[in-house]
Amino acid sequence: MGSILQMKFRLGRAAIGKMQGILVIVVLLLVIAGGVYFYSSNRPGTPSTTTQAPTTLVVEEESQPDSMDPAVSYATSGWEVVEQVYQGLLAPNGQSYTTYVGVLAQDWTVSADGMTYTFTLRPGVTFSNGDPFNAFVMWFSIYRTLVMNQGPAWILGQNLGASNGAGFNITDSILNSINYTSPSPRDLNYMTYPNQSVQVIGPNQLIMHLGYGYNGQLPYSSFLATLSTPTAYAVDPIVVEANGGVLADQPNNWMETNAVGTSFYKLQSWIQGQSVTLVKNQDYWGANLPASEENSAIQPATIDTVNLYYKPASTMVADLKSGFAQIIVAPTSQYGVLSQVQGVSVSVLPPVFGSAQGVHFLYMDPYAFQPFQDVRVREAIANAIDYKSIIHTVFNDQATQWIGPVPPGFPYYNESTTGLQPYQFDPAMAANLLAQAGYKAALPDGTKLNPGGKIFPAVNFLYDADSSTEGQTAEIIASELGSIGITVTLTPLTFKQYANVITSTSDASTTPYPFGISFYSEDYTASIDYVSAITTSPQIGFSAYSNDTVAGWTTAAASALDENTVISNFSQITKAMYYDYTDIWLYVPYFMTANKSNVIGMIPNPAGSGAAYFMFYNTVHYSP
Amino acid sequence: MNPSVYLKDFLSLLVKRTIGAIGVSLGTITIIFLISHVLSPNPARLWAGPRARASTILAVQARYHLNDPLFLQFYYFLRDLITGNFGIDPLSGQPILAEIRFYLPNTLELVFFSFAILVVVGIGLGYMSGMRFSTPVDSMIRTIYLASWSTPMYLAAILGILVFATYIPIFPSGGMYSLSLSPVRSVTGFFLVDSLIELNIPAFLSGLQHLILPAVVLAAVNFGLISRAVRSSILNVRWSTYVKTARAKGLNEDEVKRKHILRNALIDATSLSAVLFGWVLTGTVVVEELFAWPGLGQFAFQAIYSNDYPVLIPIVVVFTLGVIIANFVADVLYSILDPRIAMGAQTGAIS
Repeated sequence: MGSILQMKFRLGRAAIGKMQGILVIVVLLLVIAGGVYFYSSNRPGTPSTTTQAPTTLVVEEESQPDSMDPAVSYATSGWEVVEQVYQGLLAPNGQSYTTYVGVLAQDWTVSADGMTYTFTLRPGVTFSNGDPFNAFVMWFSIYRTLVMNQGPAWILGQNLGASNGAGFNITDSILNSINYTSPSPRDLNYMTYPNQSVQVIGPNQLIMHLGYGYNGQLPYSSFLATLSTPTAYAVDPIVVEANGGVLADQPNNWMETNAVGTSFYKLQSWIQGQSVTLVKNQDYWGANLPASEENSAIQPATIDTVNLYYKPASTMVADLKSGFAQIIVAPTSQYGVLSQVQGVSVSVLPPVFGSAQGVHFLYMDPYAFQPFQDVRVREAIANAIDYKSIIHTVFNDQATQWIGPVPPGFPYYNESTTGLQPYQFDPAMAANLLAQAGYKAALPDGTKLNPGGKIFPAVNFLYDADSSTEGQTAEIIASELGSIGITVTLTPLTFKQYANVITSTSDASTTPYPFGISFYSEDYTASIDYVSAITTSPQIGFSAYSNDTVAGWTTAAASALDENTVISNFSQITKAMYYDYTDIWLYVPYFMTANKSNVIGMIPNPAGSGAAYFMFYNTVHYSP
Repeated sequence: MNPSVYLKDFLSLLVKRTIGAIGVSLGTITIIFLISHVLSPNPARLWAGPRARASTILAVQARYHLNDPLFLQFYYFLRDLITGNFGIDPLSGQPILAEIRFYLPNTLELVFFSFAILVVVGIGLGYMSGMRFSTPVDSMIRTIYLASWSTPMYLAAILGILVFATYIPIFPSGGMYSLSLSPVRSVTGFFLVDSLIELNIPAFLSGLQHLILPAVVLAAVNFGLISRAVRSSILNVRWSTYVKTARAKGLNEDEVKRKHILRNALIDATSLSAVLFGWVLTGTVVVEELFAWPGLGQFAFQAIYSNDYPVLIPIVVVFTLGVIIANFVADVLYSILDPRIAMGAQTGAIS
């Protein structure tokens, strides 16, 4: 014991014997820091904290990917990486969100009834490990997503199914048993069987038959949009089978964190919680294409390495200022700060790109809160809100008011909203409507209306606590409703909790959150994605709106092959919801881009998840 | 003290603490489990995705027994914990044990480094303050440690990033090492150690550069307590009779300070340090999130945020065990540093 103590005190003496010891340690730390900094900043090939080699791009955002598996990933940050490593049959055509270019598909045709899509695949495509891509691989990839049945599987599941409902059923064991390089006759029997969702016609040709999904035997005008999502991307069956295979209703652990795709980048590393590094695929099949066949979705990458860091907003802004990062995903509230920084380009995108942030609206659940069953109450609330003031105060005018459910900037928005004005602020009308509904109310000048009426019962008001803009909006709305006689109790929840509530499907009549701010952001770029999410949720789920007639119009719009029918149905839906006031359309925030001025080539697209507004990093480069 | 009695006391304390640790862990698990389920009774939709089909949600519910009674869910969960099979993370699809194995060494590396700074700076400043009682140096040190002590962790982290990563960019604002380096082969899981094993000096220096700022921030908000304790102890002993006696015996001043003042002052500081280890460990939740440090704290932050309680509970167990072990070490150190105090298993507090 004594020797231990003596040893401890000898060590103690060396380290902290005198005040100078402290100083020495502090100086040592500084010297180490300085030395490390000097070393790091002068070592060739190492990006410094102030300048970045032009072959490397540093992008910073808040959330790290949820998964690397195209069949599982369902977050913007996950799709961002997946879209650089994997590829699908087609992709949005540059900035267009209604036309598509071939990626793994060279060409395609659609039958007159809209039920059959025939794809001719591009020859010579290989995965980054050299494995070939062909129609068998695509067949495997689509069924894998359906059989795994993970979060985003519904996107394909609307129109495609693993079962044809008549005894033909693709299971995990079938998928795992097939040889996709040299299929046996038995394997071919499965893949070429005609009455199924995906039918192989030949090594480079396949047909997709709609009608086996939960939409039923109907065409779907936005089917190509669903195919442009990662859920329909090609995965290498050899790699999957070597690493656990396909399991029904379960993710594949290996595929969650590793990625082997056909695209222009390869996943070099995913340091969970810190970063993802993508490096140029040196064996990329698209590098050998003639110029006539090239398009923005398949051209080879320019930048060698893309480092994606996941950091808090405050750090991202600091890193963009210091030059460590070249692109950041910053909130619009930072617009004023960033636009003053030299060498940084900040711009606000047109409202259609705001869809990446979501369309926002109030919902009123009449099943859970009886006063909302009176349309006069709902209309009173619509009139009590000063929309322009919210957009000005909360968003510094970087948002736009809208009329739902078709999002502004998307196809058919203008046609659907013809003759309608966004809801207007009219507190006097709001008070009168509330009084007519039997409740005590107050005019803006303080005059009491219906003093003998009922007191409007207090109601919980839900919003996302992680969103400062929703918080400010909620406070403004609470104040404005309070002034006409409606008391709301603000009940913020963290985003995940909030999202769980607004997407709930089972507690419409019992929820403690019958009133609040809801939102929807796209899963694929199509007006119908928004419309169906908002109109066919007979519960709080996104809208609290339930009307069988309107749901029927939604189905008709989804399956219509001519524009007039779509417009006609969307117009009816819009008007019905407008005058129903169950959902009060609030705002669509604009999206802000922030990058170093010498970084160019980003192609904005509403489907974009690369830095949340463009899809592919292959076009991004430094200006000369 | 008789070594055999000491060993007996030590083992007795070990057994008691182990039983206590099991009890505390069970209690913590129960509380976290219940709170998680109250907050989100059926998180299947949250885990499956906002527009997941009913069949997808049913598959998630079946996998995590979400439709079973709560006590059965708790049973399944405890069974998995006890058998070391922490299950599968519903959000990442990865085995939770593998995730913890990845994140834990990163956190420990940060905590050990931070703790070393904390102890050295804390004791050093406390000693200086005590020995210069009522001087400007004493006032200055007290101001520093009170200021640091009362600074919230998140504020210190943001200020650290702002000053040392933005205005004076000598440290990176986040991450564990530069992405331009080749990955280091994981042997121990500790990045600095592994880079040394590989003799990969650039990786080691990069790791060190990334480690310093979060470690200093973690230490900066925690060292004050040690400084205060050391200062207080110094003030208690520096005018005591035995110190006067030592001086009267003719010992030189350095020896008096080292052997009679500092040694006694270190008793409280040492036990307090062990407790502070637990504080630093739990403080990583904020620091790791802000510094994008891929450790258990950040993992916990994300799990809380995502209602991912199958992940959160094992993390809490790890943190709880860390705090329990730190407290146990504190008890042992206390008895080693002050032989008058036994571990008290059989003989009470003072022998």
